Amino acid sequence: MGSDDLSAGDKIQKGFQINYMILRDADTGKVIWQENKDFSAPDVEHEARVPVKILDMRAVSREINFSTIESMQNFRLDQKVLFKGRIMEEWFFEMGFVGANTTNTWQSTIEAAPESQMMPAKVLNGNVTIQTSFYDNETLITKSVVRLYYI
Amino acid sequence: MGLLSLLRKLRPNPEKEARILLLGLDNAGKTTILKQLASEDITTVSIMEQMRSCFPNRLSNHSQVTPTAGFNIKSVAADGFKLNVWDIGGQWKIRPYWKNYFANTDVLIYVIDCTDRARLSETGSELFEMLMDNRLKRVPLLVFANKQDLPNAMSASEVAEALGLVRLEERSWEIKACTAVDGTGIKEGMDWVCKNMKK
Repeated sequence: MGSDDLSAGDKIQKGFQINYMILRDADTGKVIWQENKDFSAPDVEHEARVPVKILDMRAVSREINFSTIESMQNFRLDQKVLFKGRIMEEWFFEMGFVGANTTNTWQSTIEAAPESQMMPAKVLNGNVTIQTSFYDNETLITKSVVRLYYI
Repeated sequence: MGLLSLLRKLRPNPEKEARILLLGLDNAGKTTILKQLASEDITTVSIMEQMRSCFPNRLSNHSQVTPTAGFNIKSVAADGFKLNVWDIGGQWKIRPYWKNYFANTDVLIYVIDCTDRARLSETGSELFEMLMDNRLKRVPLLVFANKQDLPNAMSASEVAEALGLVRLEERSWEIKACTAVDGTGIKEGMDWVCKNMKK
């Protein structure tokens, strides 16, 4: 990677911030969990304590709100749900162009697996992480890791 | 009638992904419609408002939803099929960005504030200019004539007449009256979207 690439990525990262993350019951729109801190701070694993009833919901939506100072040509996300470090679910999303000085929201709703395939809360507790990587084309801007606890 | 049920209706479609673009001038009601689709409570003062307080908010006195400064995307997935709805801010400063999202659109939804008579011609010219773009050629168009709950709102047919929607050629289009804040008319509009999704 040339030094020019580095500075481009760094510049975007410097002006990039996650404003909040929300988990919702997709059927009712009710907020189950929300956190207003910057989850994009890399090298830190964040924790989320979510009500155990989330596991009974038919569909849950995850919402991320972020701001950027720099514009991006091809902004994309890679979101993984890991169980004990193994990928259970992976979700790619391409947003494409993002304007300079904008605040944007990405909300993804995913239907739950059939009940028979669901693992009990006891097993999942503390073993599930949601990992979201933000890219502009091939340049990694930042990565956010959130570990889930069911309470 | 959320995005999930919409997705279920669309699922027999062999395409793996559907893309709906939601546009209109600022304050037309795009984000409110999107929230209706996601069954979210609109009047709850969310942190979104606080987060966006750094943006000029001339609507703060009479609206619970702040202007969209960039985009809102709602994306729903089930059984490998994905439905994406893009709501792009409508302030004049960011309208030039709209064209960045035209590619691969399956349905265009255009929202009009029917009480905003002063900007009716502006919203019309934005719409027709956009429809000239090759990437939106033959893309079905649904116009939501929003804010029908307000006493001075123009009817859907008045708006259609004023904009000259009959001029549209080689495109399936429809105009539906709606009230985004309480959801009236949204379902009817989305039913049309389902039936007319670009094949």
